[in-house]
Amino acid sequence: MISASLNAYVAVSVLLFAIGLLGVLIRRNTLVVFMCLELMLVAATLALVAFSRHNGTMDGNVLVFFILTVAAAEVAVGLALIVALFRRRRTVQLDGLNTLRN
Amino acid sequence: MTFNPFSVIALAVPLLSAAVIALFLRRRGAAAAVVSAGAAALLAANALVLALGGHRFTDSAEWLRVGDWTFTLGVKFDDLAALMLTVVGVVGLCVHVFSLGYMRDDEARGRYFGGLSIFMFSMTGIVLADNLVMMFLFWELVGFSSWLLINHYHERQSAADAAKKAFIVNRVGDFGFLLGIVWCQARFGTTQLDALASATEGGAVVSAGIPLLLFCGAVGKSAQLPLHVWLPDAMEGPTPVSALIHAATMVAAGIYMLCRIEMLMVPDALTVIMWTGVVTALYAALCAVTQSDIKKVLAYSTLSQLGYMVAAFGLGSLKVAHDDHFHLMAAGAGAAMFHLTTHAFFKALLFLGSGSVIHGCHHEQDIFRMGGLRRRMPFTFWTFTVGVLAIIGLPGLAGFFSKDAILYLAWAKDPAVFGVLAFTAALTAFYMLRLWRITFLGEARGEGARDAHEGGLTLTAPLGLLAALSVVSGHGWFFNVALGGSFDGIMDEVVHPTGAAHSVILATSIAVLLVGAGAAWILYRPAGDDALARRAPGLFGLLGALRESFDRGYGWYVAKVQQRFAMLLNFLEQILLAGLIVRGLAGVVGLFGLGARALHTGNANTYAYWFLLGIAALWAAATGYLTF
Repeated sequence: MISASLNAYVAVSVLLFAIGLLGVLIRRNTLVVFMCLELMLVAATLALVAFSRHNGTMDGNVLVFFILTVAAAEVAVGLALIVALFRRRRTVQLDGLNTLRN
Repeated sequence: MTFNPFSVIALAVPLLSAAVIALFLRRRGAAAAVVSAGAAALLAANALVLALGGHRFTDSAEWLRVGDWTFTLGVKFDDLAALMLTVVGVVGLCVHVFSLGYMRDDEARGRYFGGLSIFMFSMTGIVLADNLVMMFLFWELVGFSSWLLINHYHERQSAADAAKKAFIVNRVGDFGFLLGIVWCQARFGTTQLDALASATEGGAVVSAGIPLLLFCGAVGKSAQLPLHVWLPDAMEGPTPVSALIHAATMVAAGIYMLCRIEMLMVPDALTVIMWTGVVTALYAALCAVTQSDIKKVLAYSTLSQLGYMVAAFGLGSLKVAHDDHFHLMAAGAGAAMFHLTTHAFFKALLFLGSGSVIHGCHHEQDIFRMGGLRRRMPFTFWTFTVGVLAIIGLPGLAGFFSKDAILYLAWAKDPAVFGVLAFTAALTAFYMLRLWRITFLGEARGEGARDAHEGGLTLTAPLGLLAALSVVSGHGWFFNVALGGSFDGIMDEVVHPTGAAHSVILATSIAVLLVGAGAAWILYRPAGDDALARRAPGLFGLLGALRESFDRGYGWYVAKVQQRFAMLLNFLEQILLAGLIVRGLAGVVGLFGLGARALHTGNANTYAYWFLLGIAALWAAATGYLTF
């Protein structure tokens, strides 16, 4: 089995996280922002699994299960919110969603 | 400590009446009038029971304690208070009854009678107070009720101004009074009249400052020079109010207060008081000569008579030969209170008489538009005549005796004062006869006077009672026999001239009466214009300028000095307080708010950046790159 080094896993994880963060910061579509958030969670998950494997313990893996659970719940709620938002405002662009300002 | 029930009733009845009227009867004038007049009748009866029934007592109870200071509320009812309470009660009752008729058509009768009741309460409080602090409280209350009643026709700007002027001028005097009380408390540790008396009898030295500061209160309330300016203006109030407050009782409270604090008097202070009174008496008599408003003449006459009383008080005690030893008598206070009593009756009579005239002439107040009232209002004419004769000192009437007591005292103590007061008496006869002749004799010269008519019983009955009192209240037998010697504590101090002095005083008295009245009779015919203004315009103008000089002086002071000082203070206040401190604080907070509002964009992306920044800061802090 070809085993990549820990560094490679961490590098991919950081790259994923950076893409996710950048997406959250610059994208205007709520759905895309939401997916970028998921990407950041996945990046963290990848790093945790890599560390767990490297250290030979189950700590990271256990945490991954929690993250998956929370992420699943979050997707359920978040997507429902976005659908409701779209029904009400006919848009999911963040630029138009600044009602809190006034 | 229990209080004598009659003294409690004397205070409670008018207060209750005022409270009931203020709370329930403001829109029901008729009911308010009945309640107030009933309270006045009860108070008068109560005063007579107290004064003539031999009740003399001093009660006091602790009211509040501040540190070492204990304030007491108490009643000191001696012959002095009994005399004053009787005067207040009787004149108050007359004025209330008169008001029933005089104010019948007034829209705001409820407010008027409520004001009268609160005044009766306050005045009773001054009379009964056994210490200076309590007296000061009621002192301010009479000032308030005076303001309320001068302001009765408040839709007239002049009435509103007059009320404000009376209040402010009195504040000036009262400030001195308050300082005097504080000084008195600091010096003796008490303001209780009895304690003060025993302290000074024990030989405590009094600085002249204390009585002079206390005298400031009397200068304001009794309208002595230079704080006299409010009293003529106060004639804007309803005429019965002028009779009660601005002639008979409240303005006399200053003299009463002086008699109360007689034990604090020292020769220097008495000299100042005496000359203040003398100058006021002369000045006001000169002013009265040029007036054409019936009430203004009487107002200046009141000022002049108050000056007489103050001068009498200032003349002080007199050594009297008694058998073969000398006896020191408080002749000044006695003569002042004697004149206060007779003056209260005849001046209330004159004011109510003028009220009857004004009422009869449909609110005409200019004497040159009256005339011929002798036939149209005979009862008013005859009672008014009694009042005039009493004030100018016709032998046998009240004013003659009390004025002679003062003149004799002046003759015995200070010839200069005697001369000025005798001249003032001649002037009094002059302007009173002028007023009387122009108002009542001759032909009617105005619409009002032509269909003048006598008022009802409520207007005439008080006139009759006061006229009777103006005749008898000077006689010795009235006090000794009719009143059973109840006021001997005061009346025994009045020194009557004897022997050669008697002839001198009597001759002077009759001479000034004849000269003054004769000159007026020759000069003034019942006519539509002022004979003095026609024949001697220079003198007339001079007297007018004299009268206006004080108002002009105060006007100048307020406009040029005080107003500028106030503007300076206002400027500093705007810059320092409002500008730097208040605006400064608000400005800093506002700036923060402005910044914070800019952060609140409502855009989720922006918040994400802030979130990132927060994370970075947290990370930096956790790793030690950033330390607080």
